[in-house]
Amino acid sequence: MKNKTLNLAMILLKNGSGLGFKGSSTATKVMMIVLFAIAIPSMMGGVGAFTMFLMEPLMVIGQQGLVLTWGIGITSAAIFVFGIFYIISTFYFSSDVEYLLPLPLKPRQIVGAKFLVVTVFEYIFAAMIFIPIWITYGIRISMGPLYYLYGLVLLILMPIVPLALASLLSMIIMRFTNLNRYKDAFKIIGGLFAMFLGLGINMMMQSMSMNLSPEKLSELLQQGQNSLIGALPSIFPTAGWAGQALVHSGSLKGLMYFAVCIGFSAAVFAGLLALGQLIYLKGVVGLSETGSRRRGHGLEEIDKGVEKGSVITTYTLVELKLLFRTPIYFLNCVIINFLWPVFLLFPFLVRNEEVDMLAEISKAINQSDAGGIILAVFFALALFVSGSNGIAASAISREGQELYVKKYLPVSYKDQLIAKLLSALTLSYVAIVTMVIVGIVLFKIPVTTGVLVLLTGWLPVLFMCLSGLLIDLYNPKLDWDNEQKAVKQNINVLYSIIIGMGLAAASIIPVVAFKWSITVTLPILCGAFLALDLMLYNVLKTVGVRRFGNIDG
Amino acid sequence: MIELLNVNKTFNGNVKAVDNLNLVIPNGEIFGFLGPNGAGKTTTIKIITGILNADSGSVRVNGIDIKEEPLAVKRSIGFVPDTPNMFLRLKGIEYLNFMADMYDVSTADRKERLQYLAERFGMADVLHDKIQSYSHGMRQKIVIMGVLIHNPSVWIMDEPMTGLDPRSSFILKEMMREHADQGNTVFFSTHVLDVAEKVCDRVAIIDKGRILFNGTIEEMKEHFNRNESLEKMFLELTDSEK
Repeated sequence: MKNKTLNLAMILLKNGSGLGFKGSSTATKVMMIVLFAIAIPSMMGGVGAFTMFLMEPLMVIGQQGLVLTWGIGITSAAIFVFGIFYIISTFYFSSDVEYLLPLPLKPRQIVGAKFLVVTVFEYIFAAMIFIPIWITYGIRISMGPLYYLYGLVLLILMPIVPLALASLLSMIIMRFTNLNRYKDAFKIIGGLFAMFLGLGINMMMQSMSMNLSPEKLSELLQQGQNSLIGALPSIFPTAGWAGQALVHSGSLKGLMYFAVCIGFSAAVFAGLLALGQLIYLKGVVGLSETGSRRRGHGLEEIDKGVEKGSVITTYTLVELKLLFRTPIYFLNCVIINFLWPVFLLFPFLVRNEEVDMLAEISKAINQSDAGGIILAVFFALALFVSGSNGIAASAISREGQELYVKKYLPVSYKDQLIAKLLSALTLSYVAIVTMVIVGIVLFKIPVTTGVLVLLTGWLPVLFMCLSGLLIDLYNPKLDWDNEQKAVKQNINVLYSIIIGMGLAAASIIPVVAFKWSITVTLPILCGAFLALDLMLYNVLKTVGVRRFGNIDG
Repeated sequence: MIELLNVNKTFNGNVKAVDNLNLVIPNGEIFGFLGPNGAGKTTTIKIITGILNADSGSVRVNGIDIKEEPLAVKRSIGFVPDTPNMFLRLKGIEYLNFMADMYDVSTADRKERLQYLAERFGMADVLHDKIQSYSHGMRQKIVIMGVLIHNPSVWIMDEPMTGLDPRSSFILKEMMREHADQGNTVFFSTHVLDVAEKVCDRVAIIDKGRILFNGTIEEMKEHFNRNESLEKMFLELTDSEK
């Protein structure tokens, strides 16, 4: 009999709908493959080039092996932070859970299979960062065949430890938040808690690594021969060991570290299964139930608050309510708008020497000619944040199998799209407001500039909402079984981020290069975005509306 | 009144879901739409309600062509889909208010309809809870209330009795009868042949996208020349197609 965990993992992988190419037209598929064929190699090439750039000075002091440890460390940390979301949604919020629980499966088999599914998804990400570093190092130092063999095995093992830690955190949190009828609220709080804890642990480890005493550091540096690899503390010990295994792949020392890596990863996986066996069921059973108050309002009170409203307002409000009340959407699409300033500021706030940097920045900002750059930076941030919250780029995908409901409502497709646009615009604008507040309070930007940003910031946000919505109309991902797939495993959000980043760069570069003042920057940026917005709005109300009508519900 | 004229729908280029379908459902009748799984019932309903576009042919509701005036047609229809799992994170009352706004129902009218429907389906106590907390049957009831809040003249229901308790099922059948008797149209699909036999004025049996029979139960009995149950005739009709 085949192993049940592996069997289940295979089925779950087959059942998942990947990146959402299904149902797309051939032209869309070709376009996406071309985009991938350009985007992924160029990103990997970028990482490779950066590795080369870092290696040269490190080679002078005989510490070039650090690039491998850093590479694995950064990949592991990123897998850990993003992994928390993937783990919570796959372990707990996926609709297959309800079908799996009645089957005669042990909790550890379910946990094991779901863990493997998440691991496989993380390979794409891990490979994109690790492979270029690994290959670049191998070629530059002319490593032997064992180096490549070890590297391949280590890549396969790489997501295990960070994801196990993410699973551990998620399972403990879900065990204690699966408490009562306010489950949605608890899920949200649990998710937020996990996110902050993850970030906090990362920050802590980062600052610890900075606190290596200068004497110790110089001693290690003098030793050369990659002596620093083992000395830098990391939340993931496997990063250091894997680095050692690769650097010393030709010797017994390398083999030893390689074996330690394999043994430790296997032990962590076994430990996770044991923990899953103990606590998974307590966190997941009954999660899909929702309590109710059944207060018995009686017929007299039921129509309290029942008033006629305009179609677009009501539709927009329902979109917003669903975004706020669905935990996965709230964590991925809503809260991110309030948190961006915090994320951006976190590094400044935890490390002492960088608080001075904060002061330096505010000094620079308050120079009389900095207005143009401030405005451009805010436009760039607005583009990036409203692209990455994915609200517009998943507006159609989020409908999932229920899209047909919107088809039989007697509301024109144009009005429906406008309502979707408004909900995305409203939430993304919140991000601008928080950023302006942070800008005024911490970076001491002039209040007038802040007001100017508030008055004009909707222009780039509207552009991102329009382009996101159009992308999603052309390639909606409707066939999903958990909400995470609609917003996070949705390629449309990635397209939106890429467009946002491209335009962000395009907004800042000329302002910096030509030292435009605010009086030049303001009309140029506003004029450009107004023109783009008008153009895209016209596309939306003609081509977009037609496309919405043609999507089969 | 619903009229379908030479309606065709093909999926993925070769699977013919609806094959040259012709149907007229006059006012004042409860019309049952029967057929085995995958026969084309839901596809036909989706075409009438504007969820799917037909490849060819025309669909008219109360004399209006859905291609020419889709919104006017949609406004005259109340559609109950086969799965009631929608808007789960809204409260019952929020969903009803949403539907009323979408169908442009005045405040006074919606309050009156709300009272009537909540009383009839026994839902008054749970309207301020989230739909997610409802049982399958309660979800079915809230969806039915949502589509009836604008008092549509044409009811189109896909398996409306599924999950309803006997009392609610009885009330719905009673309401269907009253609605048809007032000169309106009720069109529903069902697997439960007993219901069709007891409630429907006329039935059509569809299989592989084609209408095999269209008429009253009596006509069907005459057609088969014997006094058998609808179940037996249904099995015979759909079997002979295999």
